[in-house]
Amino acid sequence: QATGTDQVVGLGLVAVSLIIFIYYTAWVILLPFIDSQHVIHKYFLPRAYAVAIPLAAGLLLLLFVGLFITYVMLKNQKVTKKAQ
Amino acid sequence: MEPGRARRRATMTKLAQWLWALALLGSAWAALTLGALDLPSSCREVLWPLPAYLLVSAGCYALATVGYRVATFHDCEDAARELQSQIQEARADLSRRGMRF
Repeated sequence: QATGTDQVVGLGLVAVSLIIFIYYTAWVILLPFIDSQHVIHKYFLPRAYAVAIPLAAGLLLLLFVGLFITYVMLKNQKVTKKAQ
Repeated sequence: MEPGRARRRATMTKLAQWLWALALLGSAWAALTLGALDLPSSCREVLWPLPAYLLVSAGCYALATVGYRVATFHDCEDAARELQSQIQEARADLSRRGMRF
């Protein structure tokens, strides 16, 4: 059996990804077929953000990965220089 | 003449297959988005964010799978404790023999 915090974190991840998936599916796939006067459109941003936000998030992710790799590499270099 | 020269390569590498499929689907999407067929405007509106949508759903699926596997992983607490004590023993033993950690 998995330990307590593991279960909470794991199920939390599942819940978050389900929420994102449902909201995004409604935004991209369902909304164009709903009459533009319907009140539900109030809960969604303009359509251009449906591509802009994931794109920006992806670029941020790449940035953080790159920074992390740079940090680890610099730390390694300093360690080997100290050992010499 | 060598028989190897006469035979042609029959299979594509996996990379080539993926790139081929990607190019095919990508060009279909580009053609439809730029107006090759006359689609109703609601279909157009669904079509153009599709690549972003597929990427986001693939990411959500990956996240959900990781979360699910973390939540259902079978820990063996006894084995973990035993392993930790064995590590302590080994460290004590090796540092007695002069190895530095």
